[in-house]
Amino acid sequence: MPEADPVCREEEDLVGSLASMSSNERIKAIQKMPKTMRKKREIRNKVLKERTKKSRHRGAQWTQGAPGVSFRRFGNALSEFFQQLRPWHKSLKIIGAEFGTSVLSYFVFLKWLLNFNIFSFLINFGFITIPQFLAAEPNNLSFTGLELLTGAGYFQQTVLYYGFYTNATISKVENGPSYNMQLAYIFTVGIYFVICFLILLFSMARFFSSNFRLTKAFSVNASKLLCTWDFNITNEEAVKLQQKNLLTQIKEDLTEVNKEVVNFSVMERFVHIATHLLAWVVSLATAVAACAGVYFLSINNLKLFMKGYSNDLQRQSAMLVLPVIVSLLNTLVPFLFSWLGHLEKFQTPGQHIYVTIVRNIILKISIVGILCYYWLNIVATSESQCWETLVGQDIYRLVLVDFIFCLLGSFFGEFLRRIIGTTVCVSLGLPEFDIGRNVLDLIYAQTLTWIGILFSPLLPGIQMIAFLIVFFVKKVSLMRNCQPPREVWRTAQMTTSFIFLLFCPSFLGVLSVTGVTVWRLKPSEECGPFRGLPSMYAAVDEWIQTLERYTVSKWVVWIYHNLIASELFFFIISTVVLIVTYLYWQIIQARKTMIKLLHNQIINAGQDKKFLLQKLQREQRAKRRSSSALGGRGQQRSSSSYHPSMQPAQEVPGYPERAFDRNQNTSHNEHPFSVEISSSSDFSPGKQLR
Amino acid sequence: MGNKQTIFTQEQLDAYQELPKRCFNKNNLAPLALPAVKAMLVGMTLPCSCAVSQDNPFRQRIAEVFSEHGDGNMTLDDFLDMFSVLSEMAPRDLKAYYAFKIYDFNNDDYICKSDLAKTVNKLTRNELTPEEVSLVCEKVIYEADVDNDGKLSLADFQHMIVRAPDFLSTFHIRI
Repeated sequence: MPEADPVCREEEDLVGSLASMSSNERIKAIQKMPKTMRKKREIRNKVLKERTKKSRHRGAQWTQGAPGVSFRRFGNALSEFFQQLRPWHKSLKIIGAEFGTSVLSYFVFLKWLLNFNIFSFLINFGFITIPQFLAAEPNNLSFTGLELLTGAGYFQQTVLYYGFYTNATISKVENGPSYNMQLAYIFTVGIYFVICFLILLFSMARFFSSNFRLTKAFSVNASKLLCTWDFNITNEEAVKLQQKNLLTQIKEDLTEVNKEVVNFSVMERFVHIATHLLAWVVSLATAVAACAGVYFLSINNLKLFMKGYSNDLQRQSAMLVLPVIVSLLNTLVPFLFSWLGHLEKFQTPGQHIYVTIVRNIILKISIVGILCYYWLNIVATSESQCWETLVGQDIYRLVLVDFIFCLLGSFFGEFLRRIIGTTVCVSLGLPEFDIGRNVLDLIYAQTLTWIGILFSPLLPGIQMIAFLIVFFVKKVSLMRNCQPPREVWRTAQMTTSFIFLLFCPSFLGVLSVTGVTVWRLKPSEECGPFRGLPSMYAAVDEWIQTLERYTVSKWVVWIYHNLIASELFFFIISTVVLIVTYLYWQIIQARKTMIKLLHNQIINAGQDKKFLLQKLQREQRAKRRSSSALGGRGQQRSSSSYHPSMQPAQEVPGYPERAFDRNQNTSHNEHPFSVEISSSSDFSPGKQLR
Repeated sequence: MGNKQTIFTQEQLDAYQELPKRCFNKNNLAPLALPAVKAMLVGMTLPCSCAVSQDNPFRQRIAEVFSEHGDGNMTLDDFLDMFSVLSEMAPRDLKAYYAFKIYDFNNDDYICKSDLAKTVNKLTRNELTPEEVSLVCEKVIYEADVDNDGKLSLADFQHMIVRAPDFLSTFHIRI
């Protein structure tokens, strides 16, 4: 069969090229091939036979066979073991099946944040808390249950807060190895933040590179139709709902197409812009008012605290006022924002979601910002005994009350709303799971935890427990009370934005706060591992000075003086980074131009093809008419390649018609990727069907 | 059921673990594949209904695309093929290729207007009028057809996928 030969030859070429690759590349290449598994197995066996033939040629030296295979088996076994440890895999699968990937993205994000907290808790507990247990002072305070809520009282003299940690060098055995608590504290926290920074940076880069969309809204309708059907969903009701949503969207799009683009009159446009401006002014004013309220309340609180309270109960309740007010603001003001969003008429629902999220972010950032300002400028310079412990207690209370409000919000927002929606006011229906708001709440909680790590090393453990409970509660509430989302939620884009938000205002803000605390603020005199030093960073300075005495560690001292503490080095690095960024930016611009050129080239090639096909059909019709007039001789013309860009008036042989038919009608089961060949304008019938 | 691990020899497992993108291991392969394995041992083939959800409108197309003779009955290998392409670690090009095949109802390697019309009807449960359906198909072809031949080729489809980052997570079945 003449057709089988190119097939065999191509397969031999493929086997040959695969045999010459290393085993990892070979595995990846075979995985990428869009063939059935049986074909892939045949190819793999052929490749292995090739390799054993080659290795026999070169003698027994090339024994990459056996150790490589057993190593890979070991790797597979290890990954199986870790896969079994995957927690919540079944829950995530059920959530994805019933509600789709958009709601699932919230739970995946929560699971990812949990990892940060677990990691921090483990290293803090291991490196800071356990040594502290060995040098602990006894705790004389009494424990009443209320301390779980306020974090004060009994907990003040425990490892929960910075103030309890000793500044001594702990050594259990005389003249034995000693453990410098100061260095341990600052290095543990520092290394944790560096690792978090790297993880966030790489995650963000990975998400940006895979989800980046060119700014032109290109083929929106096509991708909506062909690329958004969620194959995850297996629940019958959810599938019907998804179909209904798509139907509604298509109908809406069509009505937009049918009516002409409405030109707003000048008056209407003015009203539009004025509404938008007014809404923004109101939102910003609310945020500023909230910040001012929080600030004055905290200052008042501090004054009362310094003065002392008449009785214990008053003190405990006064301590809870600030966190409750902050959480109330964080819960109620977003309702105002979404109501404002309904008043303004946005062009697309996507814009509405974005604007509401931006306003919520501004509110949360300003509240956290004003609290940090208060802690670093007012509390740190107050005459309290141990200001770090005070800040730690404040953060503990904020985290705890935020957690309680999250549970309450789930109860009221979803459970009660479902009861109202199904019994009292049936037109409302079941509530939807508000992904944006819930993710922002998670980011806010994580920001508070990160700020609190320096002041309360075990806070990530508490946040870890809180996140576990939140996962469970949200999942139960979702399954019982909510319906799948009605509007399209661009999962990949939103996840990228949320990770970016976690990095940019949240983590970088935390880094600046911690940086200011470590470098500029004076630690309290009587408590904590840095008591008596001018700043927390001075501990590192002192350590470097002690290292200078030993010749074996001179390189550490050199690195410190010339690379870490020297401004010239950072200046040079910043310049280099800026230059590299500028070069990459120019490369991106050049690539964009290239894309446009190639796009135009494809369009031109398509038009060429159309023109040539029409020409071809005309010629063949003319030829058929002339040959039927001559009595049908039907000669087979000799094969000459048909060059599309030259002499279209050349005599057209009969076989391009056959090739043309084949290209249109037969299925390319053997060589699926040859589709792109047939769509190019290179008609070379001598190659037949590839 | 006996010892699940002795159903496959070590060499077979090696092959299965190399070929799809490692979404299977000994433990979750066996429960999924036991009915298929039993069928294979008896030389029969298996209808696809046990694998994909009953309500997925593309259930029939998925079965046809992945089955050996295009009739909807799958052997163990086809079954594994399907799950490996629909797993989360399959490369984007592989997924795009199979998604293209699923939407190509008449198997001519182009998504023409009739294919699109069938897709739209499946996605909306036949609730659009024929004029609306054809309007939608025209819009889709106008937007996505880069080389202007009136239908979508695999290259056009892949070009569109690049701009739809959600595709990788929605064209995915968890096992």
